[in-house]
Amino acid sequence: MRPSTGKTVEILQDGNVLYTFDLSRTEDQVIEVFYQNRSNTVQIQDGKICVQAAECPDQTCVHMGYLSDSGLPIVCLPNRLVIQFSNAELDGIAN
Amino acid sequence: MRVNGKWYFHCLIPALLLLALCGCGKSAESAEHSFFALDTYITMQATGPDAEAVLMAAEEQMQARERQWSVTNPDSEIYAINHSDGNMVEISLDTAKLIQFALDMSAQTDGALDPTIYPVLTAWGFTTGSYQVPDQDTIDELLSAVDYRNIHLKDSSVTIEDGVQIDLGAVAKGYIGDEVADLLREQGVTSALINLGGNVQTIGTKPDGSLWRIGVRNPFADGNLGVLQVEDMAVVTSGGYERYFTDEAGNTYWHIIDPKTGYPADSGLVSVTVAASEGKRCDALSTALFVMGPEQAADYWRSCGDFEMLLVLADGDIWLTDGLNNTFTLSEKDTNREVTVIRHETK
Repeated sequence: MRPSTGKTVEILQDGNVLYTFDLSRTEDQVIEVFYQNRSNTVQIQDGKICVQAAECPDQTCVHMGYLSDSGLPIVCLPNRLVIQFSNAELDGIAN
Repeated sequence: MRVNGKWYFHCLIPALLLLALCGCGKSAESAEHSFFALDTYITMQATGPDAEAVLMAAEEQMQARERQWSVTNPDSEIYAINHSDGNMVEISLDTAKLIQFALDMSAQTDGALDPTIYPVLTAWGFTTGSYQVPDQDTIDELLSAVDYRNIHLKDSSVTIEDGVQIDLGAVAKGYIGDEVADLLREQGVTSALINLGGNVQTIGTKPDGSLWRIGVRNPFADGNLGVLQVEDMAVVTSGGYERYFTDEAGNTYWHIIDPKTGYPADSGLVSVTVAASEGKRCDALSTALFVMGPEQAADYWRSCGDFEMLLVLADGDIWLTDGLNNTFTLSEKDTNREVTVIRHETK
């Protein structure tokens, strides 16, 4: 089995993995994810991932900025979207 | 191929083992499940017989509790209480227990926790998303109805006074987390971690016997201040940084309101992390201690002692109780922070 680079991210919608990327290898790109006609625009650039724009009332997902390896996933509650590292170093974050 | 007498070690026994493991009957398995409920993202992992089925049952239980206790759901018991026009309302035993717990914690913390703060929270926009600073008259008027003693609970009947609105949001996640942990333990789960949007509950140790590693968020920047290593405990953090808005002048207002002033608690703390065996206690205390401030929180801990806590002060210092001294490790980039250990004996 190939060793994990530790930079593998998953984009999930309603608990289902839509995409998996190795951030250390993947090309810069923009992905639009839809949930009930509302979109989240996910940006991958320079090995980092964030939600660039979102059609949701609170914009919490956008304000979270780049996914950091501190362990907290980027979550868009209204659109059931989660972006997380698949190999988290910690088991949970008290928040 | 030469066949020798030892072929059964290489073929038959592994085959028999395989058959035994695939047999019917409950053997321990590990499972994971994540979903959205209680206005947050919930993740669970568990090891035990039929772990997959147990986690699905746990989700159903949480969804049911949300329907029962949500302040905004018109079919919830809480909604019924808040729309009772001063009349007595019959509630279920479970809801009565939850309310009794909230009232007990309010009394124990001398009102630093108060489940009647909801109208003030709404005036600031924290329930609607339309943030604003209410004028003093509005705050004074709304504060007149804020007092946990305005909730009259007797057995399974509750009456609230005119203008009073009850919201169990400050204790519900911890309470529900405890119920889920009980369910999992009853079903033979020996190792689990449930994370209800930052309210962490653990059962036992990790499957390999090592302690669970729980990050404590840095209130000032991205990343974690450090890691707590725990087993069989709940860990809950309350922080101003979780929900706040900034006005045009650059002032920050967060969602943890001091029930005595009607303003965001300004006690010198930016986050409080509580670790204890019961999630509901952690949940209630993390809010109450935030309102109390560091000195009062330390005094409270000395008088109770059945929990541990880590306080992050506005100036960046950390205070932690001596029970956490050996379980908390500061992140490398935070090792120059001033750390004070709170002990039982006073000067």
